[in-house]
Parts: sequence; C-alpha cells; structure tokens
Amino acid sequence: MVDSKLGIFGLLSDAGPIVLFVLSVLLSFSIVSWAIIAFKFDYIRKSLSESRAFLDFFFEMYNVDKAFSASEKFRKGSLPRVFRSGYIEYRAVGDKADIRQLRVRIARAVKREANAESKRLSSLVPFLATVGNTAPFIGLFGTVWGIMTSFHNIGTTQSASLAAVAPGISEALIATAAGLAAAIPAVMAYNYFTHQISIIERDLEEFTPEFVAAFIKEP
Amino acid sequence: MEKGQKLKGAEKKFSYWLVAAAAMHAIVIFVAIYLQILDARRVVKPKIVSVSLVSLPGSGGSPKFSEKQGDNEATPAPSRVTPNPPPSAKVKKTLPESALVTPTKVTKPVKAKKKVPEVASVTTKKVVIEPLPPKPKPKVIDKPADISKALERLKQNVDKKTAATPPPSASSLNNALAQLQQKVKSEGSPNTAGARTGRESASTGQSGAGKGYGVGGSSAPYKAEIASIIMQNWEFSKLLLKNSYGMEVYVRINILANGTINQIKFDKRAPSEYLNNSVKKALEKSSPLPVLPKEEGTKDVWIGFVFTPQGIEKQ
Repeated sequence: MVDSKLGIFGLLSDAGPIVLFVLSVLLSFSIVSWAIIAFKFDYIRKSLSESRAFLDFFFEMYNVDKAFSASEKFRKGSLPRVFRSGYIEYRAVGDKADIRQLRVRIARAVKREANAESKRLSSLVPFLATVGNTAPFIGLFGTVWGIMTSFHNIGTTQSASLAAVAPGISEALIATAAGLAAAIPAVMAYNYFTHQISIIERDLEEFTPEFVAAFIKEP
Repeated sequence: MEKGQKLKGAEKKFSYWLVAAAAMHAIVIFVAIYLQILDARRVVKPKIVSVSLVSLPGSGGSPKFSEKQGDNEATPAPSRVTPNPPPSAKVKKTLPESALVTPTKVTKPVKAKKKVPEVASVTTKKVVIEPLPPKPKPKVIDKPADISKALERLKQNVDKKTAATPPPSASSLNNALAQLQQKVKSEGSPNTAGARTGRESASTGQSGAGKGYGVGGSSAPYKAEIASIIMQNWEFSKLLLKNSYGMEVYVRINILANGTINQIKFDKRAPSEYLNNSVKKALEKSSPLPVLPKEEGTKDVWIGFVFTPQGIEKQ
C-alpha cells in the first residue's frame, strides 16, 4: 500500500481489519460532521442576519402588507418565515371582525411555524453531539483492539523487544488520534450551534406575540 | 409543495457540503502523505570525520595513547621515560598544574610542541620559579621585563630540547615506514608475527607505561608468551558479530612481579559488549601469568594489547 517509511500511513498498511474498519468509521464520521458544520454554519448565519434585517424593516413600517412584501427578500431568515406564515393565515381568515378567532388562528399558525423553524435549525446538530461523544470511544476501541493484536503477535513471535512492540502500539494509537480528530471539531461546533440556535429561538418566542399583535391592530 | 421544494433544496445543499467535506478530507490526507514522502526523501548527510587509525610506530604518538588520555587516564607511558631527565624537569616539578606530567614527556617532540602554549599561558608562575627554586609556591610578579626574560629562556629551553631530539616529521615517518615494512616482511611466520611487529616495538615503551620505571623493548619475548596465553584463553567467535567495523578493544593490564594481573584497564571499548566481555574474561582467566623476567624489573608492569576479531596485537 504505502512505503513503510511513510510514518503513520505506512503503519496503516500493516493494520488489522478491525482497526481499518474503526478508522473508516471515524473518517466517515469526520466527513459527515464537517459537512454538517459547514451546512449549519451557513444556515444559522443567514437566518440570524436576515432575521435582524427583517426586524429593522418590520419596526420601521409597522404595516403588515409592506412587511410581508419586505419579508420576501429574506426567505432564509427564521423570523420572516414565521411572519409570513402568520400573514398567510391572516389573509386566509374570511371574517376579520371576530378578533378573538382571528388572534387564535394567527397565534396557532405562528406557533406552528416557529416550532417548524426550531426543528429545522436544530436538525443534524445532534449528530455532532453523537460524534463528539462516541468518536473517542470508537477510537479507543480501535486502540485496544490493536494493542490486543500486537500483544498476541508478541506472544507468537516470542520477542518482547521494543522493535516488536512499538509498531503495533503506534498503529493502534492512530485510532485514538483519529477519534479525537473527529470529536474535537464536532464538540466545538455543537456548542457553538446550540448557542446560536438558542438565540434564534429566544427571538422567535419574543417576537411571535408582536407579530400577532401587529395583525390584530391592522384596520 | 413549497416545503417539499425547500427540503429538496436543503438536501441538495447538504449533499454539496458532504462532497466538499469528503474532498477536503481527501486533500488533507494526500497533503499529509505527500509531506511524509518529502520528509522520507530528504537525505540528511552526516558529517564524515575521517580518522586514521594507523599508528606510526616510530612517532610514538599513537592514537591509542591519545584516546587513553581522553579517558582520564593519567598514567604516563613508560617508553616516554628516559634515563636522563632533561634540565627542564626542575621547572615542571615545581609547578602544581604540571604535577601529572612527567618530565620525560618533553623528550617527545610532538608533546613538547603541545606543551608550549600551556607553558606560555602560565608564564608568570614559571618565571618566578626558576630564579627562586627553594620556594614551594611561586608568587606572581608583575614585572614585564622578567616575563620577557622568562619567555626567552623558555624558548631557548624548548629549542634545545627540539634540537636534541631528531626532527620529528621526516625521521619519525621514515622510521615508521621502515618498521612497517619490517612488520610486513615478518608477517610470513605466524608464530612470531604478533610478537615482533614494528607496532609492538614502537609501543613496547608505552606498554611498560605505568609508572616510569624505564622498561624498554626487552620484554618482547615475555609479551609474546603472555599474548599466546591470553589468546588460548580467549573464547570468541567473530561469526557472532554483525559487522567488524570499529571492533577493537584497547586494553592495558598491570602485571605484578609474581605474574598476577593486578588491574585491567580498557582504553577503548568495542561497540560490541560481547567482544569486550570476552576480552575481560580471557584476561581474568589468564591470571596468573608467568613470573616477570628479571629485566622487566621487580615491580609491576603495564602491558597493552589490541583485541580485534582477527586476533590479539600488542600495543
């Protein structure tokens, strides 16, 4: 596979199937978690920035029709989405004289969309937590297995010299290193995203009554 | 319908990031492999220091002895002991720094040259000693005129010594070459080859080295005898050595008058502990050796040997 002089990659050529399987699992974990990190970072960053921009428009105009037309520019923001769902419900209600009925229906629609948005925001993020929690253990499993194998080989060859022991242990430790390499960015990203998502959810909770009130006040 | 489209868009975007992450990992892995290949290809050229291990029999300045000195061996070689000590011995005896240096060392031209800067560095002390010999501890005198006089006197002394001895470069080299030629000629007979080499004759003085009793080259038959005894007791197989490069053991033994080996000193050990141990065992096994001949003196004698996988050579 690779020349034995090539350090850790050279060592992998002699690794057992279990260690290779563990390493491939960790590699796939790492790839997926980095994809999630990139995807979520883009999604949350846009959601936050567009929500802030929409709120500026909303408080400037305080007119639902104008706010709705402005919200079309911010299709990726969480707050504009929630507002749009409330506006659609407002327009769908035929009898606007029954304010109580109108309030209940708009509040329900806004709440539903806020929940959906919250789910969208937090989707895939638990996978990062899973990777952060399990990858070191998976790596440790690979290491333990590798050390078991190397000790078995020592017994077979009946040589306990450093030259016989060291490569096996070094090869086994690669699995732990790979597990940590997959887990560390996943844990960091998970903490960052949960913080950002909690900020957006707080905004949703805070501004949902404002939206409902804006529709009700509409003449 | 709109939600479905949104979901499809999100999935598409996620799959794009998935491919990008996979590509990023592939790039990182290939870069790591490439860097390791580069690192493996980089050849570090070690500094090569060529050292001639061939000692010049005539010169007396054998590399073995210099190694010996490097190993904190303060014992001077007996070959350096001359029956008539030079006049400069007086000066050196009074110096505390040169207490370990025997006066006879000055007779060797190479050594004498080496000593000059050392002496010059402590000129102030030496200058005072000569005019005031009875004083045990020299005092420093700051008179520049005395220093210059002393320097001149020292130069004269050194010149005298160098003039007394034959010119070092030409004569000693010629002697060495002649002795090497003799050695090559005499190597035809295996029994006496080891005993009568130029190397041996050159370093017989050194081998008697320990305390300056003036043991000369008359000990060759005795040495040949003990060399053969040690050789008989030496259990060693050169097949067990992976390579024979640098496999030399320089060892000196102190033999008491009754033939007992009093002390074994390794001047240079071989990289193989197997060889070192075999030499030690052989020497221990050989004790007691035959009684020292009368011409060797009544006290103990130091004799040096070089053990190589090919056999024993006497220093």
